[in-house]
Amino acid sequence: MGAWVGQQMDLQRKLEILADAAKYDVACTSSGVDRGNGKKGMGNCIAPGICHSFSSDGRCLSLLKILFTNECVFDCKYCINRRSNDVPRASFTPQEVCDLVIGFYRRNYIEGLFLSSGILRSPDVTMELLYQTLYKLRREYDFQGYIHVKAIPGADARLIEKTGYLADRMSVNLELPTAEGLQALAPQKKREKMLAPIQQVQKGCTQNKQELMLYRHAPKFVPAGQSTQMIIGATGENDWQILKVAEHMYRRYELKRVFYSAFLRVNEDSLLPVLPGGPPLLREHRLYQADWLLRFYGFGAEELLTEDKPDFNLLLDPKCDWALRHLERFPVEVMKADYHTLLRVPGIGYRSAQRIVKARRLGTLDYQNLKKMGVVLKRAVYFITCGGKQMYPVKLKEDYILRNLLDGKEKLPGGAKKEVSYRQLTLFDDPRFSV
Amino acid sequence: MTHVFQCEDTLTGMMTGVYDAWDSRLGHQKVRLTTAQNIDREFFCEYVWVKPDLTKAEKVLRTVRERLGEEAYEMIAYAASYPDERKADAIYRMIVLGLSLPVGRQISGMLTQPDVQLVFELKRKAWHIAHRYLGFVRFRELRTGVLLSEIDAEADVLALIAPHFTDRLPMENWVIYDRGRQKAAVHPLGKGFFILEEVKEEEFFGICNSKKEECFEALWKTFHRAIGIEERTNTRLQGSLLPGKYRRFMNEFSTEKTYA
Repeated sequence: MGAWVGQQMDLQRKLEILADAAKYDVACTSSGVDRGNGKKGMGNCIAPGICHSFSSDGRCLSLLKILFTNECVFDCKYCINRRSNDVPRASFTPQEVCDLVIGFYRRNYIEGLFLSSGILRSPDVTMELLYQTLYKLRREYDFQGYIHVKAIPGADARLIEKTGYLADRMSVNLELPTAEGLQALAPQKKREKMLAPIQQVQKGCTQNKQELMLYRHAPKFVPAGQSTQMIIGATGENDWQILKVAEHMYRRYELKRVFYSAFLRVNEDSLLPVLPGGPPLLREHRLYQADWLLRFYGFGAEELLTEDKPDFNLLLDPKCDWALRHLERFPVEVMKADYHTLLRVPGIGYRSAQRIVKARRLGTLDYQNLKKMGVVLKRAVYFITCGGKQMYPVKLKEDYILRNLLDGKEKLPGGAKKEVSYRQLTLFDDPRFSV
Repeated sequence: MTHVFQCEDTLTGMMTGVYDAWDSRLGHQKVRLTTAQNIDREFFCEYVWVKPDLTKAEKVLRTVRERLGEEAYEMIAYAASYPDERKADAIYRMIVLGLSLPVGRQISGMLTQPDVQLVFELKRKAWHIAHRYLGFVRFRELRTGVLLSEIDAEADVLALIAPHFTDRLPMENWVIYDRGRQKAAVHPLGKGFFILEEVKEEEFFGICNSKKEECFEALWKTFHRAIGIEERTNTRLQGSLLPGKYRRFMNEFSTEKTYA
């Protein structure tokens, strides 16, 4: 026991370094798999995922998010762990990772493991180490919790496949939205090389689905699908380009999630931009909102943004923005409109839309009912009628609605609010267009 | 004359109330259910104390499950755990209405009915609390190897979260103790869980922690500190997602060591 406690000091320092190095990875979701325990070992997964804590930046902590090692052969400009940086380096051993995961999991600190890594010597060596860790965890410790692991671009396809059978989710970070951006900031990385493992995992998942249809107990390959991540604001892409890339990733590669990460200037480098207002958090927020519209609300990237209007209005959420530009479709009659039309009304989410469709079959709705069902009337009131009546008389005019929507107490993060307080409002109020 | 059936504030208590109120044959308009213990008595009301009865409650629950469906059953079970004085009556009315429908299963979608709406609202509140506790429960390992956790939940979520932990940690002995209600969910290794009532705090809290416990606590605190991005600090967001009332038993937020 004494020796174990002695090692802890060492482990503590390693954990500090490798958690700190992993914090820029966004994905911390534990969703997408429902797996019971089966009366042995430890752990289960539930589909909605579980948040176990929240860190000081307000992000959910669900998985033990660590790098296996922060040593790296690459020298990407934006990355804190790049080869030319003088930062303390550390590496775990598979055993140490297992000890941490099991110890934390038993105490219900975490939902599982998020294991990423710098590139130690070569992609193959790194991937092999990740595989060994997962193997130990799944087979020796019989761990049934959630595991999210990075597929290392350039690693041997067989290694990735073997790892995929042990993990719940795999991800490859695109890092930057376009190949040109990647060329500028991470010249050692190639877009094609990154897409190769994504394609492989996609193919594996499709095949696995067919296998599972034939043999119910066939081993599952990456059951929670894959995700990716892009840095926003490090290179000059506009929102339209970013959203197009995201849409492409969802359609072409069947990704479960695309994460966006506001650029943080962690390195001094002449190629990196200096953003005076700090990381573009509000822009990131709007992209996430749009991302939801793509995945759950049946919107296309082309509908939300166009080449002539390539950026989101930071003051309005993308759905309100879209609705204001398409007032000819409103007001919508809640008692009659179909599900997909309801989904497009600001203030009605997919759950409340489902509830409305179910409830109106069995009775007449009024505004009080809608409110109880979770419809945000503050926004929806301009766009709906219920039983042929508006809640109170409102004009279906662009500037009138805009003024009222902005007048509300919606909290805008990132100081966008003060910019508007002394100006005449127009539809094109966008702080980034101000002189 | 209205008859008011006073039930115990548990699912069993309320379901017995539903049974007795129906069985009294006074007519649904002339009965009322409540879980309030100290009520202002009214004129022209007769007060009946309902003694919780497991057989009666099971009969009602079985009927609910068969005729109103799994969703309505879940709604009622969750709503019953939320502290609200109107819940017993709303549940009663919902069951009455549901059983009068040609297709009982439709009741869970009838959100235009005020009683169903209330049950739905309470269920949603209770579900959110229970779901939060799935993540926020913190076990600590005692010298004996037992995992012990303490909560102080607004709703009576113990029976709602225990199945999850039974599935998750089947090969562990663990206890979740609800301080406010003095109840504990106890899970012996390899078996199902059960709920103990009227458990005094001292019964569990005399035993000291295992030797590794302090190390893991320190490791977890280190991790929790290291994972936050300084440039994005947003304690207000953190506060709204993880309100102070949950933090009391979460070791990453305890500044001093509470247990020796």
